[in-house]
Amino acid sequence: MSEDEFAKKMAEFPDSEVKVLRKGQIAMKVPAEKGHDAARFLKDMGFTHLVAIEYVDWIKDGEFELVYNLFSYEHKMRVFLKVRIPRDKPEYITFMDLWPIAMTHEREAHEMMGIVFKGNPNLTPFILEDWKSIPPMRKDFDARKFVKETYESIPFVEDEP
Amino acid sequence: MVEVKNEEKERIASEDMGVQIENQDGIELRSFGTVKRWATKRSLWMVHYCTGCGGIELAPLMTSRYDMERFGMHPMVTPRQSDLLLITGYVNIKTLKRIIRTYEQMPDPKYVVAFGSCPINGGPYWDSHVTINHLDKYLPVDVYIAGCMPRPQSIVKAFDMLMDMIQSGKADGYLRYKKYYDRYKANQEKLFRKWW
Ligand code: SF4
Repeated sequence: MSEDEFAKKMAEFPDSEVKVLRKGQIAMKVPAEKGHDAARFLKDMGFTHLVAIEYVDWIKDGEFELVYNLFSYEHKMRVFLKVRIPRDKPEYITFMDLWPIAMTHEREAHEMMGIVFKGNPNLTPFILEDWKSIPPMRKDFDARKFVKETYESIPFVEDEP
Repeated sequence: MVEVKNEEKERIASEDMGVQIENQDGIELRSFGTVKRWATKRSLWMVHYCTGCGGIELAPLMTSRYDMERFGMHPMVTPRQSDLLLITGYVNIKTLKRIIRTYEQMPDPKYVVAFGSCPINGGPYWDSHVTINHLDKYLPVDVYIAGCMPRPQSIVKAFDMLMDMIQSGKADGYLRYKKYYDRYKANQEKLFRKWW
């Protein structure tokens, strides 16, 4: 099947916005409450591999975008399933029932962006186990200021005070 | 007959270089320290642990191209049997915690060599949110190697320097760690929320 045929089939999903990006890549946008159904719909179409969950901070729109990157070995085709959630209430549902690996990807999104995935039991910090600030991948996190306050403010040990 | 200066005697004693034998001329004491240091410098075992980009430079260093074993150095899997800790690149907070654990388990005398510009002042990661910029705020470092990443030749040169420093008693990082222990600990605790 070609990309256009796939796009046509995906457009049958209610409220979806489908766009062919380039050869072998299709983007599909759905409202947040339909995200889980859309994922199941795509999985049934043959997109059985959850490659990654990407997260984008659209700070001017006040929204986070979650991009589920799905791949089909059968059709050699990639789909980006996009949902948007409000920035001031960053909560979504877990996709662990469809892909168990979602646990790890969601853990990362929680650590780096502060998004809470309901139903995921393992949202503990992984790399940032001593983190004391807002999640670092948010657009309003000022890395330079943070480095100044955290690392550069620490005195050298062997300079006599 | 070798003359031993008073301050030399004090320094050797303070470095805990062997058994102290009260002697009229002190020659035994000195020769013992010298031999011990010579033995130490010719049998440096390094902890087999790498951070950052530098681990890849150790492969030619350990194998036949640069053959580190001709200096009596070889990798050791446990910190409790090693004397040398190589920090081979950038260090983040999580890694720093493991490095300190490793360092504190190593027996004296122990030495730290920091590779590349990242442990010196942050290097290309100077404004990254996880990499600690100056390693020597948290751990005493004996030899720094500049470069991003230093080539094996410079690393061999650094080992050569470290050996000279051990022989002359200048590689005193572990003594400084003891001396300024409170300050090092205070700095470390500023970064860690909980110890484990
Ligand atoms: S100094 Fe360069 S090579 Fe070394 S850890 Fe930093 S970035 Fe990597």
